Amino acid sequence: MASNATHYNNLTPAQPLDKATLNKMVFRSLNLQASFNYERMQAAGWLYAILPGLEKIHADDQEDLKLSMEHNLEFFNTHPFLVTFVMGIVLSLEQQKADIGTIRAVRVAAMGPLGGIGDAIFWFTLVPITAGITSNMAINGSLAGPILFLLIFNIVQFGVRFFLMYWSYNLGTKAIDILTANAKEFTRAASMLGVFVVGALTSNYGGTTIALTLENGDSPIVIQSILDGILPKLIPLCLTLGLFFLMKKKNWKPVQCIALLLVIGLLGALVGIF
Amino acid sequence: MGFSAIQIILVFVWVFIIAIDQFDLLESLYQPIVSGAVIGAILGDLPTGLIVGGTYQLMTIGNMPVGGAQPPNAVIGGVMATVFAIASGLEPTAAVGLAVPFALIGQYMITLLFTAMAPMMSMADKMAEKGDTKGIVRLNYLAMAILGLLFAFVCTLGMIGGSAMGQTLSALAEQFQWVMTGLSTAGGMMRFVGFAVLLRIMLAKEYWGIYFAGFVLATIIGYIPALSGSALLLVAFVGFAIAYNDFQVNVAIKNAAGSGIGGNGGDEDGI
Repeated sequence: MASNATHYNNLTPAQPLDKATLNKMVFRSLNLQASFNYERMQAAGWLYAILPGLEKIHADDQEDLKLSMEHNLEFFNTHPFLVTFVMGIVLSLEQQKADIGTIRAVRVAAMGPLGGIGDAIFWFTLVPITAGITSNMAINGSLAGPILFLLIFNIVQFGVRFFLMYWSYNLGTKAIDILTANAKEFTRAASMLGVFVVGALTSNYGGTTIALTLENGDSPIVIQSILDGILPKLIPLCLTLGLFFLMKKKNWKPVQCIALLLVIGLLGALVGIF
Repeated sequence: MGFSAIQIILVFVWVFIIAIDQFDLLESLYQPIVSGAVIGAILGDLPTGLIVGGTYQLMTIGNMPVGGAQPPNAVIGGVMATVFAIASGLEPTAAVGLAVPFALIGQYMITLLFTAMAPMMSMADKMAEKGDTKGIVRLNYLAMAILGLLFAFVCTLGMIGGSAMGQTLSALAEQFQWVMTGLSTAGGMMRFVGFAVLLRIMLAKEYWGIYFAGFVLATIIGYIPALSGSALLLVAFVGFAIAYNDFQVNVAIKNAAGSGIGGNGGDEDGI
């Protein structure tokens, strides 16, 4: 994470990834959330999932592999069932040894919007319909209920995972010629989209609110609604910018920031701020 | 409610698997409709397992893990409801009620684990610096094993101690309510560290406006209930429009400039 390298040492595109490796990564994508945590969410699981590909791509240069592992450990969160779409496109860029900034920007821009789509497909459509039908079969004592549920859900899940991996890997590979012709302009545009998405995530993922109220006879003053009157999502924005400042200007490490947030959270809960 | 040692061990193993499965593996074994049947089969009463599992499944349909929120945990709730229904011949709905304290404990354990795994990320950073690919793999499997063991342990306690154990445990959790609130608040704030790291790397001076524009657009859309589910997708369309336009303009400028201005300093000041 300390590394500020902007591109790989070996810029010769690697051999395209073979089917076995791509398939292996599809199966690893199942465990995307293995080490889920509140700081970087799926980051380490993401790295675990694409590692077989990265090891092949950067096989001839250990330093490049380290660089790639470092930047692929940054914040990552997407829909677990659609992650292979992001994997395919990022791996195609890694294989072509695109600028690290470009890869990062594409990764951030691609991961954000998938959440809503995945929820709509899986949690609002597939599961309610299949579970609704098969649950009634189970309640009527039929063992076919759970078996059918598992079959339908997993056929769809694996179909989506495999399709997205191959489709987006080929898509990225085809687009690469256009991109490398205008690499600088593309990196700039992708970074803009990435920063735009991080701005959106700050609001969309930011749920921190204050539960503090001031006694005021019959109509207590709710601090949070005053803050919302100034700017909705003010606390998430201030925290993000505050942490950004601590890291950029004061050289704080992420782990120090986490310790600070733990102290704030526990003290705040003790005195009733949260 | 007497269970044989083999039954307890089998439930332990099954819960270990589905606790992991709720986030990884097939992400479907943990669903009560499947889990209820398996627990029923282990405890020698498949019909009751099917009925309780189906009932619990219908209850949870409106309670999916959408957008990463943590509802009371259906994994542990489904298992304990089935266990209680079979052991004491309760109606499925009553058994589900007895299982609620366990579902809450499940939720607490997940909050604890997701908080505790955050400092582990700096270990992962060190592994990446050394190119230790095996370490990254081990870290992920270790986290999965911890999750599985925590859940399996609590379910075993519940099988041995009965529903009273659930009340004891949740009373204990109640006493330390502020710790749980504090941890989950801190947990909710930790993602801002992840964002700040990304910004530190990506946020060139000329992109500040873009950052705030993304923030504002997502906030506006998020406050419209009908759109909040697709907020990030809608935001991405607008972001794409801006970025794509920027790309086109800059490519056009580069091509037009051709040999004229020469060099490659054109984008240093953001055009």
